[in-house]
Amino acid sequence: MSSATQRATRVQDRLADNRYVRFLLSPGLGLLWVLALLFLPLTIIVLYSFYTAGEFGAIVPEFTLANYQRLFGSSTYPVIIAKSFLIGLVTTLIVLPLGYTLGYFLGRTESTWKPLLLGLVVVQFWVPIIIRTYAWIPILGTEGVVNQALLWIGLINEPLSLLYTMPGMLVGLVVSLLPFMILPVYAAVSTIDDDVIQAAKTLGASDWRAFWEVTLPLSWPGIVSGILFTFIIAAGAFLAPELLGGPGERMIAPVIADVFLGDFNWPFAAALSLVYFLLIGVSLYLFTRKADLEEALEGVSV
Amino acid sequence: MTGQWNWRAVKLVSALVYVSMFVPLLVVVVNSFHPQRMASFPPSSLTLHWYGEFFADQMLLDAVWMSTKVGVATAICAGAVGTLSAMGFVRKQFPVKKGLVIVMLSPMLVPPVIVGLASTMFFTELGWERSILWLVTMHTLIALPYAFLIVRSRLFLFDESLEEAAQTLGADHLTTFREVTFPIISPAILTAMIISFVISFGEFTATQFWVSRETTTAPVVIYTMLETLITPKVNVLATLVLVITIAIPIAGMALQRWLASPTE
Repeated sequence: MSSATQRATRVQDRLADNRYVRFLLSPGLGLLWVLALLFLPLTIIVLYSFYTAGEFGAIVPEFTLANYQRLFGSSTYPVIIAKSFLIGLVTTLIVLPLGYTLGYFLGRTESTWKPLLLGLVVVQFWVPIIIRTYAWIPILGTEGVVNQALLWIGLINEPLSLLYTMPGMLVGLVVSLLPFMILPVYAAVSTIDDDVIQAAKTLGASDWRAFWEVTLPLSWPGIVSGILFTFIIAAGAFLAPELLGGPGERMIAPVIADVFLGDFNWPFAAALSLVYFLLIGVSLYLFTRKADLEEALEGVSV
Repeated sequence: MTGQWNWRAVKLVSALVYVSMFVPLLVVVVNSFHPQRMASFPPSSLTLHWYGEFFADQMLLDAVWMSTKVGVATAICAGAVGTLSAMGFVRKQFPVKKGLVIVMLSPMLVPPVIVGLASTMFFTELGWERSILWLVTMHTLIALPYAFLIVRSRLFLFDESLEEAAQTLGADHLTTFREVTFPIISPAILTAMIISFVISFGEFTATQFWVSRETTTAPVVIYTMLETLITPKVNVLATLVLVITIAIPIAGMALQRWLASPTE
């Protein structure tokens, strides 16, 4: 071996043994990925939100407060943002009892079908949200499955308008987000020792009391995880309001996309995004005061 | 016997939840065989007509192929980067580790619209044109937290004395990883890759910012079809995407089980 290659190998070895080099590879590469492609671009949003929007989508790098004046100048955009968070909240309040019930069922059932039933929930995670959302169109429409069934039973005389309304949109949102509640609740409930519940009952607790004072508190980590995902995803929903909601139910995510991709007004889209982002940040801060964020995020990777 | 009644109520609600999750998917699949354009449900007869039209439409086939390519590349990138990161976070001690975990997981928390918009502004500022590489880079970002968590939870269970034994016997870091660590955690890495593929394949909200005419993906085409031309071909495309996103993970899990089964 020539001395040059020897030296090269030695340098290589020393590099491989260097703490900093090894840190940069593991875990540094993943951190760099996130910092360079998420955190750095987020700072660009701040910058762009103070730029001037020129004609035909041009961006003039001149400092202005016009974007924020437009945003807060009328009630239009604050209402859209507030409504999105409200819809996030309402969706979460519907998903919670439904998802909890199925998660609880899966956690406590002794059925031989359990692996299959669990698998059916996991499958929901794999199917793209766009399919699970638009699938409601032929169901909720005036000629749709629901209306036909109700007409046939005789419950209604005229088809109900369900599609392109708030209830229709909520149905799509709720069903698409149910797995985010079911799986973490299942994971939490299935770790509860049956003896603990039995002990409470032996000591005289009714079924309800045993549930409220033993099972429910012990499944709290799952609930918290489900709430986090449901709320954030529902507040930022794009597909349900676009495909199932009415023209009056505008939500923040489609509005931002419209301003950016439709009007090419990047500075205003940046200002909207920043305000929205900060409010998500505030929600997350409030969340961390009650629960552990890392633990909650782990909840979906069961 | 309140307990039994309560349990029956739980079962009833659970059944309804299953119905609400699966009926829509069933309707999509059945409608892809529906002879009429304006579908009333259930159809009176079934046809393969729209499948014929679908497979004659090069644009749709290209979109499915693009999603597949991007999904596979994302699976590889997110699998590799997620594994490296998880190893670093589990094995090494460094300052503000707890905070850096949140940084790793933050792509789950930032709304996809903002992820899409911010990166588009950033790349445009850098002068980087939309391309398949752009899609793979960003899909890797979105899938990374999931891949990271899956591999990390496996590493938490890992018996580190196995690695120490290998090193006592003279193996260097790389050999230890290749001969000891990797074979043990490879099922978790495979799961991470499958989940990354599925996430990439179905992602829409952020992806709509990243596609160009040449790199359009299946979910974006579905959305465009829903917004513009009403054609039952969309049900065929959706059915195909549905089958792919369900079949790939199941095939992956079968592969895992086969690999894990003891060989004679």
